[in-house]
Amino acid sequence: METEEFVLVRDLLRSFATRFRVGSADDVKPSLGAAAQEALGELGLAELRRSTPPAATVQECALLAEEHGSLPLATSLLGTALLAPELLRLVGVPAAPGRTPTIALARDLRFPAASPSPLVAWDSEGADEALCVLPDGTVTAVGLGPAAPSVDLLRTIRTALPSQHVVGRLDPAGHLRWQAYALIVVASELVGAARSFVAQSVGYARERAQYGRPVGSFQAVQHLLADATVLVEACTSASRYAAWSLDHESPQRALAAARVAKAEVNRSAVEAVYAGMQVFGGIAQTWEHIAHLYLRKVRVGATVLATTADLLTVLAEPEATR
Amino acid sequence: MTDTPLDFGDPADLNRLRTEFRTWLAEHPFPERHLDEPVPVFLHRWHRLLHSGGWVGLDVPERYGGRGLTALHQVAVSDELGACGAPGVPRIGYLAHALLEFASEDQRLRMLPRMLAGDEVWCQGFSEPGAGSDLAGMSTFAERRDDHYVVRGQKLWTSYAQYSDLCLLLARTDREGSPHRSITAFALPLDRAGVTVRPLRAANGDDEFCELFLDDVRLEESERVGSEGDGWPLAMTTVSYERNALDTGHLSKYGLLVERLRSTVRERADTLPDGLRSEIGQCQVDYEVLVAHARRRTAERLSGQPAGPESSVDKLLMTRAEQRLYETALKVFPEQLAEDGGELFGEYLYSRAASVYGGTSQIQRNLIAKRVLHLPSSGRP
Repeated sequence: METEEFVLVRDLLRSFATRFRVGSADDVKPSLGAAAQEALGELGLAELRRSTPPAATVQECALLAEEHGSLPLATSLLGTALLAPELLRLVGVPAAPGRTPTIALARDLRFPAASPSPLVAWDSEGADEALCVLPDGTVTAVGLGPAAPSVDLLRTIRTALPSQHVVGRLDPAGHLRWQAYALIVVASELVGAARSFVAQSVGYARERAQYGRPVGSFQAVQHLLADATVLVEACTSASRYAAWSLDHESPQRALAAARVAKAEVNRSAVEAVYAGMQVFGGIAQTWEHIAHLYLRKVRVGATVLATTADLLTVLAEPEATR
Repeated sequence: MTDTPLDFGDPADLNRLRTEFRTWLAEHPFPERHLDEPVPVFLHRWHRLLHSGGWVGLDVPERYGGRGLTALHQVAVSDELGACGAPGVPRIGYLAHALLEFASEDQRLRMLPRMLAGDEVWCQGFSEPGAGSDLAGMSTFAERRDDHYVVRGQKLWTSYAQYSDLCLLLARTDREGSPHRSITAFALPLDRAGVTVRPLRAANGDDEFCELFLDDVRLEESERVGSEGDGWPLAMTTVSYERNALDTGHLSKYGLLVERLRSTVRERADTLPDGLRSEIGQCQVDYEVLVAHARRRTAERLSGQPAGPESSVDKLLMTRAEQRLYETALKVFPEQLAEDGGELFGEYLYSRAASVYGGTSQIQRNLIAKRVLHLPSSGRP
């Protein structure tokens, strides 16, 4: 996309997010989720990665994922609009007419292990099936069972039915691309969440007075927020560079960069949200406040696809990418 | 910092440069450090060799002795040096940027080619015994007398002044005004009458740090860099670039050590504790994040954004990467602690200074709070 065109698309998503943002955990209701998902579908973002070559770059998709994470939204942009269409594109299979797939993950939300392990349909608001990538690159489709409880109140997860059928197969390069893309998109949403929550806590620190002055004037609070800013910038640099790598470099290099980005985000997005909660103080502990929605998203997000332990083990080994 | 897609350069173009550089490296082996040869002397030989191949100042315009390429080309060269275990990139990027921005055309034409070639070695005279991170507390004074200045004062932490020809010196030119308008920069030749350089022995045994005594040193008007009162913005520009690991050549240094740690993971697969393996993985993450961050900031700079107060973020990330890296290296190579005097332990000690030099970590946090986040002032000076 041309920059101007992308800015337009992002602004669309931004105003959508302002309109459908969840004000508190009490707003998260199935009826509202369905309405928001329908409105999101009308933005046509699922088309961005459906064609070859895609209409949007990975960098642009990553920025949209950041945008989706920045306000509390109960919609499934990642699963249904970004991840599943890209997977079908990589496999070379068109989407079945009238079907909206999302992706299937292992029950612990990591990349699926060898079949037949129990699966869940992750980010399944508005979805009616889920695509699963097995370790050998085989892509299968599974039907959806009832909703499964999730700590991340903004994310719909459903159980997957045991029967599945093969949709296609990723070639080795496609498999690397898929893993890199998924890691980048998931990491980017968490970056957006951490960035936005820290910004909101900075705004609060400017207004909230204690001892007759704004808490943001205390150096202890300033340093806490400065450190959170450093973490957010580190996450941003890592995820945007990984996205660029997938657009321009070999899939091996891009996957290495994507793993680095997810590892950084797993650690730092959570830390940044902790800092923001500390600034909000006691109010952040209430059900009505949005703080716990962000905390839930980044805390669960840090385990999605690949945990820090998974990633550090791989990244400690030298690889032949240079 | 920008929020639209970033241009990290044309990979094909950068790869061509990498190939060209690798070919050159293969034909020009690294110099060996002679027994007892001081590190700066050895690095200076390396600097001149690199320059002879056209590998210094890639992003400096050609008329000033550079190659007129972009900062991303400089990143690629730094990367390659790190990857092949070469000595670091000459640390002149931040000084060159200060001259590019503030020096007169005449000074740029005269000074930059010699700086890039290593014909003149520069050091930086900012800190003072009474003013380290707090530049506003500076007391060295340059008194104006008709067409020249007379400078009196003392500088501290001027790295390798004993091996340098010129010092980018900051001095007050107005005792009354605010520090933001009363500091002026000069290019001081260190052999000028009245200049005394005294090396200090550092905790790691090196004699990098020097004291500089200035007793009625005469400086010509033509040796002033920028206008009177430009010293503060010049210092801010210099330290902004100094805080990007790319400009100081630190990236290649870290990359080399991270690779060394990662190869021990393969070599000692059976005996390396899992905890240490994760810690090495974390060093790799810190390092790669720093590379990504340096590239992002470089891309932003190329799109026209100056290295502003966000450079404090760069400095804190660099400090994080460096301190964890050397901490981990001592765990991977514990013999360095038992035997003492190892090179690695010296570098570890120096890593502890990362949170002090170039403005302490606390100063960087203050700068982020005030100038990036615009938090309310504490009401104290």
